[in-house]
Amino acid sequence: MTKKLRIYRAFLSAGMQEVSTYRVNWIFYMAGNVMACFVSYFIWKAVFLSGNNNSLNGFTMSQMIVYIFLMFLTSTMTSSGGTYDIGEEIRDGTIAMRMIKPISYNATFLFQELGNKIMTICLLIIPMVIGVEAVRYNFTGEVQFEITNFLIYVVSCVFAYLINFFFNISFGFIAFVIKYLWGANMMKNCIVGFLSGTVIPLSFLPSGLEKICLLLPFASLNYTPVMIYLGIYKGSTLLYYLGLQLFWVLVLWGLSKLIWKISTKHLTVQGG
Amino acid sequence: MKTLKRISRMHRIFIVQELKRMMEYKGDFIVGIIGFLFAQANNMLFLWLIFRQIPNLAGWSIKEILFIYGFSLIPKGIDHLFFDNLWAVGHFLVQKGDFDKYLTRPVNTLFHVMVEKLQIDALGELLVGIAMVCITLPSLTVEWSVQKILLAVLVIPFATLIYTGIKTITAAIAFWTKKSGNITYMFYMVNEFSKYPVKIYNSFVRNIITYIIPFAFTAYYPAEYILKGENPLFNIGVCVLISIVMMTLGIIVWNKGIRAYESAGS
Repeated sequence: MTKKLRIYRAFLSAGMQEVSTYRVNWIFYMAGNVMACFVSYFIWKAVFLSGNNNSLNGFTMSQMIVYIFLMFLTSTMTSSGGTYDIGEEIRDGTIAMRMIKPISYNATFLFQELGNKIMTICLLIIPMVIGVEAVRYNFTGEVQFEITNFLIYVVSCVFAYLINFFFNISFGFIAFVIKYLWGANMMKNCIVGFLSGTVIPLSFLPSGLEKICLLLPFASLNYTPVMIYLGIYKGSTLLYYLGLQLFWVLVLWGLSKLIWKISTKHLTVQGG
Repeated sequence: MKTLKRISRMHRIFIVQELKRMMEYKGDFIVGIIGFLFAQANNMLFLWLIFRQIPNLAGWSIKEILFIYGFSLIPKGIDHLFFDNLWAVGHFLVQKGDFDKYLTRPVNTLFHVMVEKLQIDALGELLVGIAMVCITLPSLTVEWSVQKILLAVLVIPFATLIYTGIKTITAAIAFWTKKSGNITYMFYMVNEFSKYPVKIYNSFVRNIITYIIPFAFTAYYPAEYILKGENPLFNIGVCVLISIVMMTLGIIVWNKGIRAYESAGS
């Protein structure tokens, strides 16, 4: 067991080094994404000022602002690049190099990405949470930060990340069918982005559609953690959604195993 | 005149080459276009869901907002279609040392980089943009005049030049830093602001997108003139002026960068 851990620690630190080598590039990337948050911020502000109601579909203006920025934080933390990496490896044949090594294919990816995530989280989570709480304080005049909500939020993010990880690994094998991953990945990101509430809170959808979306694994990716942080999910609702997340973790884990089994049988490396 | 002829002939050769490559991978080509269509569909859905809640956004109806949005996609799509290769300069061409090949050829480097690739994915954006403008226009009450139609068409290449200019500047930074792809990305995110009426932003953001990173001239200001006929001198005139400034700056920075460029060498 310790030997195993030692092997995977190498991948973990490789992931961390990746971020620190290209940190300037990383900062600009994040700055670009924060900018996109501000676009939504201004749009929502105008929306609330144009409507007469204090709350829209259960969101007050301050909750909406928290929602926008936390959505960015959550989706950054739970994002997973497996689709692209795996697809590229299938395409250029490096997948063969991974397969001949006596380590788990998925686990190497997982640890490399975790290293990446640790750096991201260290640099991002504190300023974001402080910023978000400052906004809330500004609106309501009292500190609304709740440590229990925050801790459950973190747990929920871990589940969300695992769902995303296994989903992306499974999806990456689409490279067997579609060679142009950039386009396929873009399509996937658009659909997942919408269904997971990054475009607009799911409560804005027509109610039938909302109910379906809440059951799908995508709502577990971003929407559930953010609703937990906001304190909108509590008590039995909270337990229900955490349970649903866990359910999807298990299902997608199984699915990725299954796809791995089937596809390695059919794998033909192009000129590998 | 002779150089112009030579350039246009070369451009044709490059594009034909690129089209041949695309025919080889027909599936990819469709997947790419659909990918961009999806991205636009997401934004449409967002606007539609928001407008279910409110009658207008800061005084603009949904049709007007969709028009501005559609209009913004046209210069963006044209730039994306023809000059997308500039992204590659900042992302990996310089970093991997692949840029050397451009220096060894008897063609202007900037020109060569720009025309080398035709990014057909951009059709997804461009088609949505044109469709949105065509769908929304008939139901909007716009006073048309010959002058307006001419200006509306004339402004598109200049708006495109704003994109190309900014992309050239940010790509050229890579000559000093080796990698600048995400700087371009950051600037491109600023362009998200330009798809909506500038009135909804605070003065800080408004000044930035008007004077510093002038993306507001790629969509909102020209659209304001087209829809409401206000301030042609500012909305169109400054757009033309500023696009020329941006492109000139781009060329200056690029040429300075080429002189500073040291190959990554391995």
